[in-house]
Parts: sequence; structure tokens; C-alpha cells
Amino acid sequence: MKRSTELLHLQHIAKSFPSTQRGGEPIQILESIDLTMERSHAIAITGNSGSGKSTLLQIAAGLLGCDHGDVWFEGELLSRMDGRSLSQVRSRRMGFIFQASLLLEDFTASENVQIAAMIGGSTKAEAKAKAAEILALVGLSNRLGHRPDQLSGGEKQRVAIARALVNEPSILFADEPTGSLDEGNAAMVEELLFSLVRTKGVALMLVTHNPAFASRCDEVYRISDRMLEAIG
Amino acid sequence: MNAITPLLTRRKLGIGANRASKRRVFFNLILITLVVAVLVLAQIFVVSMSRGIADKWAYLADGHLQLYLGPGQELPTHPNIDSIEEVGEVNALLYSPDKNQMVRVKGVESTYFSKRRLEQLSIRVGEASTSTLARIMISTTLADQLSVSLGDRLALMMVSNDAIRAQLCIIDALYDSGYRELDGQLIYCDLSFVKRLFGTGLASSWEILTEKGNLNALKDDLERAGYLSTTWKEQNAALSSNLDTSRQAVLAVMVVVAILCGYFISELSAQMVEDDKARIATLHLMGADPRTVRTAYWRAVMAITVVSLTLGTLLGILCARLLPPLLAHLSARSYSALSFYLLDFPIRIPVLDVSIIISVLLLVSAISVHLSLKRVASIEPLSCVRFD
Repeated sequence: MKRSTELLHLQHIAKSFPSTQRGGEPIQILESIDLTMERSHAIAITGNSGSGKSTLLQIAAGLLGCDHGDVWFEGELLSRMDGRSLSQVRSRRMGFIFQASLLLEDFTASENVQIAAMIGGSTKAEAKAKAAEILALVGLSNRLGHRPDQLSGGEKQRVAIARALVNEPSILFADEPTGSLDEGNAAMVEELLFSLVRTKGVALMLVTHNPAFASRCDEVYRISDRMLEAIG
Repeated sequence: MNAITPLLTRRKLGIGANRASKRRVFFNLILITLVVAVLVLAQIFVVSMSRGIADKWAYLADGHLQLYLGPGQELPTHPNIDSIEEVGEVNALLYSPDKNQMVRVKGVESTYFSKRRLEQLSIRVGEASTSTLARIMISTTLADQLSVSLGDRLALMMVSNDAIRAQLCIIDALYDSGYRELDGQLIYCDLSFVKRLFGTGLASSWEILTEKGNLNALKDDLERAGYLSTTWKEQNAALSSNLDTSRQAVLAVMVVVAILCGYFISELSAQMVEDDKARIATLHLMGADPRTVRTAYWRAVMAITVVSLTLGTLLGILCARLLPPLLAHLSARSYSALSFYLLDFPIRIPVLDVSIIISVLLLVSAISVHLSLKRVASIEPLSCVRFD
């Protein structure tokens, strides 16, 4: 069955992790989760620490397998794809931002973005031009040649946003993208993130603790007792 | 090829990388270079010494080919014969006032010590003597053993076939070939002297010098023409076989060390991957094909290997070229532990042996690095978050 009208569809997702104690029962994290995302739509997933927000995001992105259920992405069954196909989907159609910027330390800001572009299929020259353009959009045109250790936390996260969006993906998965930033930088990154996803028409799945941040999304969900409920 | 491969490879090689990365690459490069240099140097040393010993025996003891003329046979003419000299040989006991030594007495003409032979030994001639005693040339090794020097007298008890002759001689010259095992048992005298003593009972032959590559062809040609000849290898089968075996054994050891070195290089790549797990996971998260990442690492490690091999080979050859003065110094010191080693020999680069060692190392490292990099594929994209 193809679900071509939706961008992302999670159907009856269940996930448990093995118990940390020998012989213990598996720990059920998610149970019978259903979620549908439309294109260019932004949703936030909130919940207490350990409630399974990040796990749900990782399952939705094909980074983590689930015990039961299926994940459909742009009409394709993501949860049954092999590693190579998943890599291809991630390289062109998905972007990721985590709490840590996860920049490659040996590479400059521009190279970090270029690598993502080249993985997405751009030539070296195209990647260089795209990197310069998107880094200018995040206000880092004067930091192209700087390595991560020469950038501030906010700047690193802006490079991470640029890297995630350089291939103009269909969806951006953001897991606590401002979690490690101070208030000022967090606000700047938040503003930039929403501005870019709206401008470029990219869907956003945001995992956050911050209710104000979450409220800027089109829909807000909360995970509680392994279940997902819409709260706004 | 994915466009990121060259970029990743260059950075793994330290090009445009930070100082710590450059230092890591440099350290590994130096380590492999030194191992290769030692392997190459050891192989050059062993092969050169082995060939040096073979040359000493061929030029000073037996010639490349020994020819025995039958009744009525004329000396052969052949374009590959560089020189042909008549020699007469007897075994003898050499007596000094205090000691004695079993020796091989070789009667030669004055033309025997040609330029090629003189390259194999140094000769120190004594002052002109009016003595009518037979003149002999012994080695400095033998002179030390018998506690005699130039101008001293020695008694020779010579045996050839059934004839025994005793003769008093005077040391007219001292030679030193640098190979004490040979020097300690070989003395020279005039051919006319042994001929006069033993007449037709003297075991005589003709020593032929030729180029090494022509030896077997020359022997075949001579045999076809009805001449009886033996090569120096046939004449000294045990020694020749020992030299060949030692050379092959050392080559085998070097190949094993090269294999271990290749394995070490794969450990280097494995360590590189271990250190870069978070980065590789990030690349996988971005959708990089594990094969692309693996290719970049393989290229980086192999580039380090190839550069190290080249530098190591050149360093090994350079050190080998610098060896003769050191060996001459050791030889002059007369360390007893080195007394049976040849310390004066020309350095020859055994191209085939060095090529085998380098090829094995390159092949083993290419395969083992390829296999060790398979672990790249097992690095989960999510692990970059765990490494955070």
C-alpha cells in the first residue's frame, strides 16, 4: 500500500528496550503510536525525560527499528528498507539537527556543509556554491573557513542547520536543537530554524522540552505513558 | 567515485588538518618507514655479504670455472673467457717456530693477480730480500695465528698425491681479503716453485674468470667442445648451498616480518576507524555510503603505506651505501665475534629480493586494511549521538 498524499506516516509503532537487569522484562517505551505528517508541516513532540520522544524521532527517521508497526516516508515503506536505501533517503530527503552540532572537527564550516551537499549528489563546485549560499543565509558568510573549535556554540548549531538544509530535504528532524545553548543563542537558533523551514517549505519534526519552542509548530504532541496524544 | 572521497582522504592524510592529525600521520609514516628501512637494509646486507663471500671464493680460491686439460688438449678460446690462469695446488702443514696450521698452497703465475682479483684483496709486500728461500704470500689472519710477520721464515710440509715435500720459505707478502675463514687457510706461492717440487704429480688446473651471467653458458660450451670443467659452486657445493640457504632463509624471515608489518598497518587503519567512530557515524547519519567512507580510509592508509615504503626503501638503500666505512671500522677492530664474517664487500642492491619484500608488504597491507575497514559499515548512524 502506498500512501502518497502524506509525507510521513507512522502506523501502530511499538518499541521496547531490553531490561538492564538480567532476566528482567523488556522496557516498553512506545505503544501503538500513529502519526501522520503533511508536507511543509511542523510538529513538536514533547514529554518528560525518558518518555520516548527521541526514540520516536529516530524511528520516524529510519535510524532505529521498531518492534511493531510501519513507517511510511513519501509513499515508501521506510521501516523495511535496507541500509543502502535508507542512506540514500537520508542523504537527499532528510536533514538532522541534534542537541550537539555533530560537526566534523577536521573540516571547516564550509567543508562540513559541502560534505553534506556532496553526499546528496552535488559536484564539488556545486557543493561549494551551495555551502557559501546557505551559510550566508544563517549569517555565517564570514566563518566559512573556520573549524568547529573556532566557532561558538550558537555558530556551530547554525552550521548544523545549514548542513541539514543544504540538500533541501523534505523533512528536518530536530532533537533538542537548542538544548545546549544559552538563552540568547537558543532564541536566535530557534528563530533561524523556523524562518528557514518556512521559507524552504521543509517539514519539521521537533523534539523539545521547551513549551514555547514547541508552540511555534503547527501541531504539538505529547508522549505520556507510552502513548502519543495531540495537545495543540 | 563520490566527490567526498578525495576530501576525506586528503584530510585523513593530514592535508589541511589540524596539528594533532598531522602529527598522527607523521608518526605512523615514520614508524612504517623505519621498519621498511630496516628490512631493506638487512636484506641488502645479507645478500651483499653472501655475494661478497662467493666472490672471494671465486676470485681468490677457485676461479669461476676450473678447467682440466686432457692429454693433447689446447687451451680453449671463447669470447666469454675474461682470463685464464694456470694454478697448481697442494695441501700443506705450515709451521712457525711456535705453531702450525693446515693450509692450501696455491701456486700461481705473476699475472694471476689481475685488476679484478686485486679488487678482492689488499697486498702488503715486504722489503726486497736477498734470500734464496721460496717466497710465499700468506694472509694477515694466518700471520696473526702463527705469530709471524713479513720477512719471517716458515716451514712447509706439502702433500700432493703420494708425494711429500718439506721446504723452508720466507714470507714475501701479506694479503688481506677481509674474509678470515678463507684467509686462514689459503697461501700463495710461485707456480714454478710447486711445479719444481712435485713435477707431474702436481694437481694443476686452469682458473677461468668470466661474468657471472655467462658462467653456465660458458661451461656448457666448454663441455660441448670436450673440456672437463667445474664451476666454483660445484667445487664448493656445501659453501654455495649454505650461502643460498642463508639468503633464502633471511628472505623468508624478511617476508614474514613484512607480513607482520602489513598486519600492523591494518591495525593502524582499525585504530583510525576506532578514533573516528563518531565522525564516521555522523557521515552515515548524513547518508554517506559506507563504501565511500571505507574507500577514503583505505586510500589514506595505502597512501601512507606507499609513501612509507618508498621512503623506507630509499632510506634502507642509503644506509646500506653508508655501511662500508662502518664495516671497515669494525673489521679494523678485529672483534673476535665478527671473525668469521666478511666485513669488506661491495654493496649490491638485490632488486628482486627488495621487490618481493615490498610487494608482499604492499599486498598484505592492502588486503588486511581492506578487511579491517569492513567494520566501517557496522558503525550505526545513531552512535554519533551516543558519542556526543
